[in-house]
Amino acid sequence: MSRERRLMDTFVELADTMVDDYDMIEFLQLLTERCVELLGTSEAGVMLADGAGKLRHAACSNERMQIVELFELQLEEGPCFDAFRTNEPVVSAEPEEVARRWPRFAPHVRDGGFESVAAVPMRLRSEVIGALNLFSSHPVALGTDELRLAQALADIATIGILHQRAIADARIATTQLEVALESRIVIEQAKGIVAERNRIGVDEAFTLLRSYTRSHNRLLAQTARAIIDASLDPSALAPAD
Amino acid sequence: MSEFGFESERVDRVTAALAVGEHDPSSSVCAAGAAVVGVRRAGVALMAAGHTLGMVCVSDDVTAALEDVQYSLGEGPCVDAYHARAPVLAGDLADTERDDWPAFCESALRVGVRAAFGFPLMVRGICIGALNLYHDYPVTLTGEQLADAAAVSHVAARTVLRWQSFAAPGSVAWQLEGVPAHRAVVHQATGMISVQADVSIDDSLAMLQAYAFAHDRAIAAVAEAVIRRTLRFD
Repeated sequence: MSRERRLMDTFVELADTMVDDYDMIEFLQLLTERCVELLGTSEAGVMLADGAGKLRHAACSNERMQIVELFELQLEEGPCFDAFRTNEPVVSAEPEEVARRWPRFAPHVRDGGFESVAAVPMRLRSEVIGALNLFSSHPVALGTDELRLAQALADIATIGILHQRAIADARIATTQLEVALESRIVIEQAKGIVAERNRIGVDEAFTLLRSYTRSHNRLLAQTARAIIDASLDPSALAPAD
Repeated sequence: MSEFGFESERVDRVTAALAVGEHDPSSSVCAAGAAVVGVRRAGVALMAAGHTLGMVCVSDDVTAALEDVQYSLGEGPCVDAYHARAPVLAGDLADTERDDWPAFCESALRVGVRAAFGFPLMVRGICIGALNLYHDYPVTLTGEQLADAAAVSHVAARTVLRWQSFAAPGSVAWQLEGVPAHRAVVHQATGMISVQADVSIDDSLAMLQAYAFAHDRAIAAVAEAVIRRTLRFD
């Protein structure tokens, strides 16, 4: 298959993965594997910033790469960090340069069997959410075209991740709103049941529900749901006289 | 870059018109929404799993009454827009060819409403309710008006979720405190009827709705009668 064709397939594949049954880890795993195929580097890895802005390991094309990335995270030094901080691609084609730029991290690169490293930021406009690491076991100078391709793959992944996060945020807020509003409804229904069962007014029924809830250290909605599913007897709420 | 195909200019203009930054989301928001599109009335309903949770706002009493009708009957532009996840346009409710919401159309025409439109409140692919627009004359919305209406529903949906995102877990955002309130009597009556008729809550609500429909009364009025104990269901 031609490189161009493989490239097209990869973009389609990545876009496809984003739609249904989106699994972030699987998606990033696919990204790292395709990076290796298309860019000619030995391994690839993705680091993403957590809610506090701290980089975390997300996905790797293999185990060896993962160990080196974990050292990078521990030392907080390396190409991924530089790309993340500067929002610019980072390329170090020779072991000597790696040693010069990241003196503490360089030995781990060597131990992992890598000689050259590169990283591109994962960004949407000014927002940087992580970086894509590209390591090779031989000296590789990624050219302008390769870097541009690496950035394009990182960009597509970034859009997918941001989109997914936005959906997840909206879903959480929607669910919370639904639950909170449903709770209100359930409480009103329970007031009606308690009022009818005890032959009292709805205000009085609310007082009973509230005092029962307080003395049993529950939430009002919990008491209300128990009344509705009949696990709590409404007449048991009335104070014994 | 525009979001969901909205020109950011339009969204900015609608956001400014609705003044949804700081203010209480009462009728002013809906009135502003109607004004932006150039129709008489507007209402914003929150829905989940196909049923109405309550109204965020209504521009006036006629709208409130029509929302009540949609809630009672389970039919109308709001319900359809929610299910279809797409705009629902009825430019002339008196059109005899119409056969989708016979009871809703009859109620609307009786209170002088001649056109009704529903737009889903979509946020990131999730539908949380619908925007209803009503007009007192037959009207065909222009492309501009349709785009504005879609922008109003978009801004309203985002605003609701933004409010809710600041609310404490388990509670409703203060701006949405009033959402289920005007239905309170309906839910209380539903609880009472479930005891009187010894049926489930869902069946009890259906009985209340059926009674209101059969006697041509507002569901809230019937509910009031149940709570005052002048009407029983046993």
